[in-house]
Amino acid sequence: MNEHRHNPANAARIPWPSLPWVGRSFLIDVPIFAVGVAVLYIVVALARYWSGPLTPQVEIDLHARALPLYALYSTLRIAIAYLLSLVFTLVYGYIAAYNARAERFMVPLLDVLQSIPVLSFLPGVMLAMVALFPHRQLGVEMGSILLIFTGQVWNMAFSFYASLKSIPREMREAAKIYGFSWWQRFTEVELPFAAIGLVWNSMMSVAGGWFFLMACEMFVLGKRDFRLPGLGSYLQTAASTGNTRAIFSGVAAMIAIVVLTDQLVWRPAVAWAQKFKFENVEAAEIVHSPVLTLIRRSRLLGLLTRKTVTPFFESLQLRFAKSNGNASAAATTVGRRSWWLAMVGLIALAGALYLASRGVVLLAGVSTTELHMIVRGLLATLARVTVALVLGCLWTVPAGVAIGTQPRLAKIAQPLAQIAASVPATALFPVVVLALVRMGGGLGIASILLLLLGTQWYLLFNVIAGASAIPTELEEACKIYRFNRWERWRKLVLPAIFPYLITALITASGGAWNASIVAEYFHLQGRIFSTTGLGALISQASDDGNFRLLFAATVFMAGTVVLINRLVWRRLYRLASIRFTLNM
Amino acid sequence: MRKGSVRTAQISEFIKRERWPEAIAALEKLSSAEGADCFGSLADEEQQALFSQLPVELAARILSHFPYYLQYVLLHTRTPADMRAVLDYMPPDERMQLLDELPDEAWERLEEEIGELKRPPLPSSPAPPSPVAKTVLPSQRTSPSAPVIRSVVASPATKVAPAALPVREAPLEAIIEARGLEKSFPQADGHNVQIIAPLDLSIYPGTVVALLGASGSGKSTLLRMLSGLSQPSSGQVLWRGRDLAQTVPNVAIVFQSFALFPWLTVLENVEAPLLARAILEPERRKRAMRAINTVGLKGFENAYPKELSGGMKQRVGFARALAVQPEVLFMDEPFSALDVLTAENLRGELLDLWLGDKMDIKTIFIVTHNIEEAVLLADRVIVLGRNPARIRADFRITLPRPRDRKSPQFVIFVDYIYKVMTSTDAVVVPPSPGKTTEASRYPLLPHARPGGIAGLLEVLIDTQGTEDLYHLAERLLMEVDDLFPIVDAAVLLGFATLEEGDVNITPEGKTWAEADVSTQKKLFREAALARILLFQQMVRILREKSDHSIPLELFRDILDEHHSEVDIQRQLETVLNWGRYCELFAYDSEKERLYLPSDADAVTEEDNPEFPARSV
Repeated sequence: MNEHRHNPANAARIPWPSLPWVGRSFLIDVPIFAVGVAVLYIVVALARYWSGPLTPQVEIDLHARALPLYALYSTLRIAIAYLLSLVFTLVYGYIAAYNARAERFMVPLLDVLQSIPVLSFLPGVMLAMVALFPHRQLGVEMGSILLIFTGQVWNMAFSFYASLKSIPREMREAAKIYGFSWWQRFTEVELPFAAIGLVWNSMMSVAGGWFFLMACEMFVLGKRDFRLPGLGSYLQTAASTGNTRAIFSGVAAMIAIVVLTDQLVWRPAVAWAQKFKFENVEAAEIVHSPVLTLIRRSRLLGLLTRKTVTPFFESLQLRFAKSNGNASAAATTVGRRSWWLAMVGLIALAGALYLASRGVVLLAGVSTTELHMIVRGLLATLARVTVALVLGCLWTVPAGVAIGTQPRLAKIAQPLAQIAASVPATALFPVVVLALVRMGGGLGIASILLLLLGTQWYLLFNVIAGASAIPTELEEACKIYRFNRWERWRKLVLPAIFPYLITALITASGGAWNASIVAEYFHLQGRIFSTTGLGALISQASDDGNFRLLFAATVFMAGTVVLINRLVWRRLYRLASIRFTLNM
Repeated sequence: MRKGSVRTAQISEFIKRERWPEAIAALEKLSSAEGADCFGSLADEEQQALFSQLPVELAARILSHFPYYLQYVLLHTRTPADMRAVLDYMPPDERMQLLDELPDEAWERLEEEIGELKRPPLPSSPAPPSPVAKTVLPSQRTSPSAPVIRSVVASPATKVAPAALPVREAPLEAIIEARGLEKSFPQADGHNVQIIAPLDLSIYPGTVVALLGASGSGKSTLLRMLSGLSQPSSGQVLWRGRDLAQTVPNVAIVFQSFALFPWLTVLENVEAPLLARAILEPERRKRAMRAINTVGLKGFENAYPKELSGGMKQRVGFARALAVQPEVLFMDEPFSALDVLTAENLRGELLDLWLGDKMDIKTIFIVTHNIEEAVLLADRVIVLGRNPARIRADFRITLPRPRDRKSPQFVIFVDYIYKVMTSTDAVVVPPSPGKTTEASRYPLLPHARPGGIAGLLEVLIDTQGTEDLYHLAERLLMEVDDLFPIVDAAVLLGFATLEEGDVNITPEGKTWAEADVSTQKKLFREAALARILLFQQMVRILREKSDHSIPLELFRDILDEHHSEVDIQRQLETVLNWGRYCELFAYDSEKERLYLPSDADAVTEEDNPEFPARSV
């Protein structure tokens, strides 16, 4: 854990002898010190607010003045939800990867959980949390944070699990033969190996958090109306009152935060994670982050690390190493632990069976009319998702291929696309819906556009990646044999980008189903805009507190998504990996 | 057996006190075979010392019971005149066999030493086979019942001193002892696929042991069981007399893929095992730096592995292993991922460290498929057979160091190992009771391509139809692993024969190699149908079916009962490759079905002949 190691090479570049606290390094420490003070203040302020009395229905102030505080609350909510997700990810991934019996149901379970839209978790999570802390703001806050958590965690858990499973055998064996303790294996083998995947998935997860922020901060649950001070509820209030100025300032604030986090957190994280690239040769392209350089050069942080973090980890390593030496002699504890695990598994299984039976009872109560509504909604949403994906492909494939095959175009277009993609589509929804409604189009068309907004970026970036991976020899072969444009596309470009496109479509399709709950049902200017669809059904059932309908609709949606994954995407993915990979 | 070992101990005692007449008398009392057995169980140094003292007649009698390389070594304990006399006393067929088996270089050297000898004509014109040579395979003579040369102590720097015998210490305790060690993997259908047949093995301190075997012979699996990384299916491994499962042995492994942690610097990589042993900071760094210094990486301690070349990465692997001062240093094909020059350089440095006693290591156990590497490095070589793995040969290499690859003795050992590895008749070991691992009715086809077979035959035509396997590998710059399947395939199809490590082309092979593409396909088809049961059945089933097509799955099932998943995958690849090449059937990879080729297809394919080498 020495990523903040002080680099003597940089000090050598300064021509005159510098005193320890003067010169460049000191200036570098000023912003870092400021950040420290700010964090401290936030923690204190937050503690005061959370321990305050329960005010479930905060009046949202639409004045721009209120925005900074709201933005701070929302950012913190997402950050805490993210930390929870990280902890959950490590535990879940670890158990799934190392316990073969647990793996058998934990991995498919992730698949199912991933396909359940955030709003379906809402009533359960919210009511439980409010019941847990009935008189403190903490309860509602925890509920909101857990909701964000349910939208962030699954892909991270899956990524960590997959990374653990793909650690090369010889590397594992090296750790085993040299007697690494559990902790040393975790910190020096498993976590570093999974780091890159975790960082990328964290970025996606947090983006997802922003996407569903509006739904997670302000919602009606039966007769109760929950509103938490935050950017999401600000935007939603602005939309429902039709305050265009507030909508625009809210969107601007959100974009500003997203761009800032990208620069201050994700870029440094990605640049830092390059250290964990599992490759034997040095990469040609390196991501740079000035912030990371700043952190690495800071003497204050370097000193702090050397004085606190390094000795702490050292003592931790030694403690685990010593207990490991003692434990390996007595192998009996393993037997006891597995017995204990089996008991926990058994109890969990019994609980799951009981809940499933209750679920079946609940489902049995669904009336025929409701079933009709669900099936009609399912078909409508299916059609909408399909149209959105097709539309997405239609524009991203030519654009992506153009960008991917022409480096000069890529230099201009790629950064622009990245900024555009980082803006959560839901923030734009009010603007889009307002515009469309004014032009006279209904939400039916608008929702397709909204789905498209949410999913097109996956497609675009993957197509760019696929197109830039086409070997120049093949391009040259097309030229030499005088392929016309159509032949070139059919014989080379489409097959070459096919695997990338499929990968993107799998993610985009899941995302689109999930996004339908916010795209098909909308509070705007005091009215509810909604269209036929499963997403609208779920949102409405959640609003009305109709748990039976909510549950039934969720089961149908999750079932459909899993089914489509199995029947369509997995087959296409297999075809792609067999026939259309470029390594011969 | 007990009586024999008592007698061996007695003789060994006489030798130590240099009471030669008593030793000779004791040996003379035994029958010829018993005597050889007894002699064979002596330590090398003892064997050589005793042999130099034996009367010529007895020497000749005993000598003929040993493999030729040992005969050659023993002969050289005597004066040239004596050597000649011993050779003259040998039964004529035994002498012929020895001279026949000796590689050319050794033969020439022997002639220089003792004058002209009668020898069968050189291999360039086919040799009249000596009757004994053809019936006795070298591997049989080194089977456990025949004189296996036991592994005993030799200090690394010991040179072979024929006459003067150093006073030996008491026999050392084995570090690792494997008893009835077996590995098998259960398949989905309940069958067990045996990877390693039950075997006994002891590793003694002070030796470099090389474990040789073709790829897929289970040598890495054996290494992992001996080092405690994986559990045997039955039998046990004793570490200094205690069950390995209950101890934490101090071992290290150098991996083929280096297995360094790319996110740790060189120093951190080397320190990691020390940290695991809870060694505190100043000491930890000191030991790591010493190991890094030993392998010549000083100055690179803050570099990350990705900044280093392959050879330097493996040096880090060595340093990491040295840092823990293991009792046994295991190496799993440590030089295979490196280029030829780097590998040679590293081998030399490893030897220097070992001979100079610069590492705190008692024993090195190296797994390799490179025969020359084994002969270059090892004091003892163990050759594993395949399907399932069992020990085919286990013998010592007593050549003085540094070893010269071009020296006749070196070549003798290399040649001998080639023969052991190519002999298909493995040592017959009684099947273990209980678990049944029946042999498949469909022996696996060697993983070779028709293009490769054609290439081999063309080389053979260039060398007047016959070539030594060792020279062939050298000439083609191929590893044994890649060459064996091609030779096996040629033999299987009747295009070549393999005798005593020599590959000979058959008339059919010559015709095939020289034919044009479509005739080649036709001849290949005929040979495959005549000799390979699997192809006969495939074609029969295809003809019987009304639509002349069957799913590939069917053949997977046929093979499934006896082989592991990886083997089956490779086997199907080979079957499809051969079958498609010679147009026995066509295959649709998307539907995973085989078809009988229609006549129309056959015509078009003859118009566009596919080059055999390009068929995929």
